[in-house]
Amino acid sequence: VARRPGFSAQTLAVLAELCAAPAQWRHGYGIARDTGLKSGTLYPVLIRLADRGLVEARWEDEQPAGRPRRHLYRLSPDGLAAATQALAQARPAGAVRGGRVGASRRVAPGVTP
Amino acid sequence: MSWLTRVMALLVRCLAAALPADRRGWAHALRAEAEQVPAGWARLAWLAGGVRLTALAARPRRLGYPVMFAVAAAGLAWSAWSGPPGDPAIVINRVDAVTVAVILAGLTWTVRRARGPAADARPARLVRAGGYLAVLALVLVKAAVERVADAPPNNLGGSALAWTGEIVFLAAMAGYAAVILAGTARRSAAACPDVVLGAVMGAAVGIGIYALGPLGFPLRFTGLWPARLYDAAMVLGAVAAGFAPVVAGLIASRRAGRAPRPADRIRSGATAGLCTGASAALVVSVLSTATIALLPHDAGLRDWAVGHIGQWTPAVGQVAPLVGTRLGYVAGNSAFAAGYLIVLLLSPLGGGGLGAWAGWTATRPRLAVGR
Repeated sequence: VARRPGFSAQTLAVLAELCAAPAQWRHGYGIARDTGLKSGTLYPVLIRLADRGLVEARWEDEQPAGRPRRHLYRLSPDGLAAATQALAQARPAGAVRGGRVGASRRVAPGVTP
Repeated sequence: MSWLTRVMALLVRCLAAALPADRRGWAHALRAEAEQVPAGWARLAWLAGGVRLTALAARPRRLGYPVMFAVAAAGLAWSAWSGPPGDPAIVINRVDAVTVAVILAGLTWTVRRARGPAADARPARLVRAGGYLAVLALVLVKAAVERVADAPPNNLGGSALAWTGEIVFLAAMAGYAAVILAGTARRSAAACPDVVLGAVMGAAVGIGIYALGPLGFPLRFTGLWPARLYDAAMVLGAVAAGFAPVVAGLIASRRAGRAPRPADRIRSGATAGLCTGASAALVVSVLSTATIALLPHDAGLRDWAVGHIGQWTPAVGQVAPLVGTRLGYVAGNSAFAAGYLIVLLLSPLGGGGLGAWAGWTATRPRLAVGR
């Protein structure tokens, strides 16, 4: 996977959050809650990552009772590799630190350097 | 709070419709997710983020340009509808405002069907938006001139000549709008760079001409050196105005130099020249007519005009020796402003002709050196 420079702190926070359980499908509100990002910030990040093929997205399979179907996200194989690399580079440089981007604390074992 | 939340959700839903098809799902995802957010401020903030997301992601062309046009047309209509009672110019102004709005909107729809939407290039879209704004601005400032020039006791409004002039003016505006739209359409017969080149060069020429004679007349300077400098600037300005379409035509035809047929290069030159002439005429007409419209309201401008234009000053109560005091203001303002109609008609034709000539000269085989 080619190096993808220029991830913002918010994007790194989302990548770190999704890296925490790469196989698990996450929903938007959960990611927002755990990263502290607002919806107006989170969704553009998710859209960009999906456009670059780093995030897979799908709708819930079945229509739940009493609420609309939710959109689910997880890292693609490329996304997992890119996230691992980006987080490894960002951590020593201190790009993912402090404030709301501190969600990187949940980077999955074996993913962080 | 709940009603505000519902309004926000509705806003996200409506704005989502303006998103490109591949983006709508994201807006729906955000809205569906709002159900999981605790009610109250948190849900409101979530949906507010959705409004921001959809507003930013909505294609500006899809929302922004129609909104801009609607606002400009509404401002024009408001201006045309205002005026003192009994002013015959109001009728003309209202006809102008409504007709131009219909022409611009109708031509947009027609050209979109025939030639597609605006070209997917920022310069083309800027030329299109700027051209439309210039046409609307011209109608606006012309209405301001008409309001004063046609008011009693100067009123000439309602005469057959005035209505003939209006018809010619509206036809000219339709022609300008057609050129702007056809030249910047996605499937335009003209090359977008030629149109943009001509528009930019023409705007520069128009600003230069306006600076040399804001009211359409040469300025007078009392000092020797200011007068000489101004004369030199006038000569340079005249040369630049005459050569601009030629230069634009040459550049455009050279850009099309790889085209197999000479006719293509001539057409490129003609397009660039026509756009240069049209852009220059539009810019100088808008600026000069706006200045004329300001004259009755700005004593400082009137004093400046008296000092620098002398007996030609088209100011109320100033000297109007040729046509008498009653018609002084009409001769000054309305006729001067109407004079730009001739510029609007002839400049694009002249520019197109010069540009075509430049393209033609570029196609002629050059003599080999030494022969």
